[in-house]
Amino acid sequence: METTSWSLHMLSEILSAFSTEDPDNLRNVLNRVAESVDAEVAAIICNRSIDWCIGLSEDDQQLLLEELNNQPSDITIRSGILRTCWAPMGPMDLLFVGRLGERFDLEERSLLRAMARSIELSIKMLRAVTSEREARKDALLQATHDALTGLPNRRMVLDRLQAAVDHLSVDSSLLTAVLFIDIDRFKWINDAYGHSAGDQLLIHVSRVLKHVVRHDDLVGRLSGDEFIVIIRTSHRDDAGQLASRIIAEIRQPVNVAGSELSHTVSIGISFAHLGDSPSTLLENADMAMYQAKALGRGRHSTFHSTMRLQAQQRISLEEALGNAVQNGEIKPFLQPIFRLDDKTLTGFEALVRWQHPQLGLLMPAAFLEQAEDSGLIQEIDMCVFASACAVIASWQQIHGLGNLRLSSNLSARSLADPRVKVHIKEILESTAINPASVYLEITETTFVDDIESTTATINALRDLGLRLAIDDFGTGYSSLLYLKRFPVGVLKIDRSFVSGLGKNPEDEVIATTILTLAKALELEVVAEGVENEAQMKRMRELGCDYGQGYWFGHPITIEATDVAFIEPLRQAPLIP
Amino acid sequence: MVAESWVQVGASSLNDTGQALEQALQALQCPQDPKLIVALLAPNFDLAAIAEQLHGTFPHTQVIGCTTSGEITPGGAVANSLVLWALGGSAIEVSTGSGQGDAHGLRQAATEAAHCLDHLEQRANTVLIVLSDGLCGDQMDVVRGAYDVAGIDVPLVGGCAGDYLAMSRTRQIHGRRVMTQAVVAAAVSSDRPLGIGVSHGWTPAGDPMLVTGSKGNILSTLEDKPALDVYLDFFNPEDIVRTDPTAFANFAATHPIGIRRRDKIEMRHVTGFNLDRRELILVAEVPQGALAFLTEGNFDSVLNAAAQSCISAVEALNGFPPAGLLLFDCVSRRAVFTEERVHEETDLITSSCGAVPMAGFYTYGEIARTKGAGGFHNQTLVTLAIG
Repeated sequence: METTSWSLHMLSEILSAFSTEDPDNLRNVLNRVAESVDAEVAAIICNRSIDWCIGLSEDDQQLLLEELNNQPSDITIRSGILRTCWAPMGPMDLLFVGRLGERFDLEERSLLRAMARSIELSIKMLRAVTSEREARKDALLQATHDALTGLPNRRMVLDRLQAAVDHLSVDSSLLTAVLFIDIDRFKWINDAYGHSAGDQLLIHVSRVLKHVVRHDDLVGRLSGDEFIVIIRTSHRDDAGQLASRIIAEIRQPVNVAGSELSHTVSIGISFAHLGDSPSTLLENADMAMYQAKALGRGRHSTFHSTMRLQAQQRISLEEALGNAVQNGEIKPFLQPIFRLDDKTLTGFEALVRWQHPQLGLLMPAAFLEQAEDSGLIQEIDMCVFASACAVIASWQQIHGLGNLRLSSNLSARSLADPRVKVHIKEILESTAINPASVYLEITETTFVDDIESTTATINALRDLGLRLAIDDFGTGYSSLLYLKRFPVGVLKIDRSFVSGLGKNPEDEVIATTILTLAKALELEVVAEGVENEAQMKRMRELGCDYGQGYWFGHPITIEATDVAFIEPLRQAPLIP
Repeated sequence: MVAESWVQVGASSLNDTGQALEQALQALQCPQDPKLIVALLAPNFDLAAIAEQLHGTFPHTQVIGCTTSGEITPGGAVANSLVLWALGGSAIEVSTGSGQGDAHGLRQAATEAAHCLDHLEQRANTVLIVLSDGLCGDQMDVVRGAYDVAGIDVPLVGGCAGDYLAMSRTRQIHGRRVMTQAVVAAAVSSDRPLGIGVSHGWTPAGDPMLVTGSKGNILSTLEDKPALDVYLDFFNPEDIVRTDPTAFANFAATHPIGIRRRDKIEMRHVTGFNLDRRELILVAEVPQGALAFLTEGNFDSVLNAAAQSCISAVEALNGFPPAGLLLFDCVSRRAVFTEERVHEETDLITSSCGAVPMAGFYTYGEIARTKGAGGFHNQTLVTLAIG
């Protein structure tokens, strides 16, 4: 029959009870310690407070703490005399075991001390393991999730896409579809309401996406306002239907920064094929998304191989554009600006054109988007500005044309670049143009875009003696404060209001309002897009200072301008 | 005036729920409204209707109950019956509670149920009666969860609800609620003594073995050998037991495993096996590192244990005559007695304790914590005697 020592068995059982895999296990260990020695009470006391205790009421636990310094061998509680064993766990902590009835003998006490040491080591190990686990979990979360929305980030999206493509070799019964979702005009929302509002919108969109998709689908955020949804489905149409649902859900007005905003998303869809790389799938969906935007935003479009061709054409155009600046194919065309009250020539706006060696003359719409995206816009801005300054400066030498004005466009990207003031200064000095006659046209959007970082540039331009003209005024949201704070000399009324004169009463009200505002701020006003005499007369009646448009003259080459507008003035100057 | 306590039992074997309850209620013959009714019910009854009707009949009485694997009445062991054990009297205070568990276990549920002690007006002696879902998790957790609240001062008794060995679902009643995967409890406090007896009658059949691999109620290895093989090699049952789950369960019901404790052996009922992994499945934890025995018992030793359990409970009343008994008897013991001779157990209890009102049920595990922190048993008769 039984020959094994009871105490040896007890030690064996208790030491086996420790498991570092389960942090809650310590609670059970305490039960097992008590159960193994037939004790009613077991407690772990850390820093003079009871971390875990079984068997004792709160009052009796207090009694235990009061006896902590004395560590008596008996404690009288309501149920009787508790025989005690106090086993140290390191310098500060204790394992307490209490039993009604028999005292712990020497062997039991020595074993309980061994147990206490084991618990001490286990607690330390558990803490270390738990801490390590949490650190790893946090690191993984940060590495794989977006901090703002909590959604999986690009890295995790790419991992999931790779897994989805790999799975196709095992099971091709389900399609993997990638939905590339881009918030339309997100930059505008960010600009108009601030980045905090933009963040709110991103969080809102992420919630909508998570709500719309199924549990197993993945919603991720790639960057900025770009989201991704990965679904597995048996029907190709499901992806389009999901895209439609997403668009409809996100179209619902949402309160952002105290305003009801209704916004749209454009969605591109691509389907995974065996051998696809995750980045190819994303690119395809991205291209489809651009197609959706081109169709008019708030739509979805599915990738087709022709889109890649179009994208490649765009890239080819971008490469050619880079060479165009070097090859002198970028040229300024000039459009005259006339004073309305006496129809005298005031100056010119320099407008960019690309003299493409194969495609002929390209208008800005054909290449400005690529120029903006690629950053070439800054070179183009300076190229046009330098050429225009040179010719206007030469014309200013003509008697009577000393005040001939030049308006030249400055893109948002140029304005945001601190080096632009250096380039402009060099051009002004090399061409010797009178800075007071130079107006740099910026759009309203550009004007307030990241105002903090552009303020220094605008001030530097003012110091050079330049003035600003606000292009497309009335379509944006210029703050009156900015109009007063910065060296704004001219407001240009957008052509959309001018074309509505005599037809749309609202346009006339807006034009009148802008003129009243300009007068109050002592700014000059140029009406853009004047295409007929009636518009010219109406603007003049409303008090507008200058006009620009086809009725006065189309944008033409420098040489043609010289012939059409300057040469006659060499004979009889019109400008006082 | 001396505070008194009383127990009444009513039972019925009628099939119809309404008729059975009516018959059992008529048999109760309570002197006044009981403080507590423990309803012990075969699984075929409509428990919701019973709970509702008990509330309608005794709106101020606390009710707990559960399904069983056989019921015990003063007339003996019965089956497919409805039994009401009613406790009352001026000496008695009762509060009840329940906790909903889940497939992961019942520790928290037991803790929640035991918090009924917080609302109890405590008299001289208190006991917590616990009824748990015997098919849910490790039943050691029920004792540990209840002990977290009851502590050293309040003993625990109780049993695990059964379903006549269908092993599919048990149910518990608390008030008008019918639950599953739950623990229900009644805290009983009395001015008069309460006694608890525990006995099983099993003895080790061989040398102790070290439990080298176990997790919860899964016993993987004994002395580093597959536990199922060790078990079958030792008992050498007929071939069908080695492969057929039902035959194995029937065999294992009378061949439990014992765990060495300081001054006793705690029994563990083997409920099944995993043929592929060669593991034994038990109703409760066999701690890794513990010493385990394969045990044996015979009709007489198991029967005598019944008398021992009841006598111990009654003796604990310190001379007070028992007002009634509540029995928690392992379903496996019933298998040892066989249906033909199962009445001998209750006959022996009656002859040992006198004709006191008694009721009970056959359980999937018994709870009795009177000493130490543990208290989950198998193959055991636990007796609660009301003084």
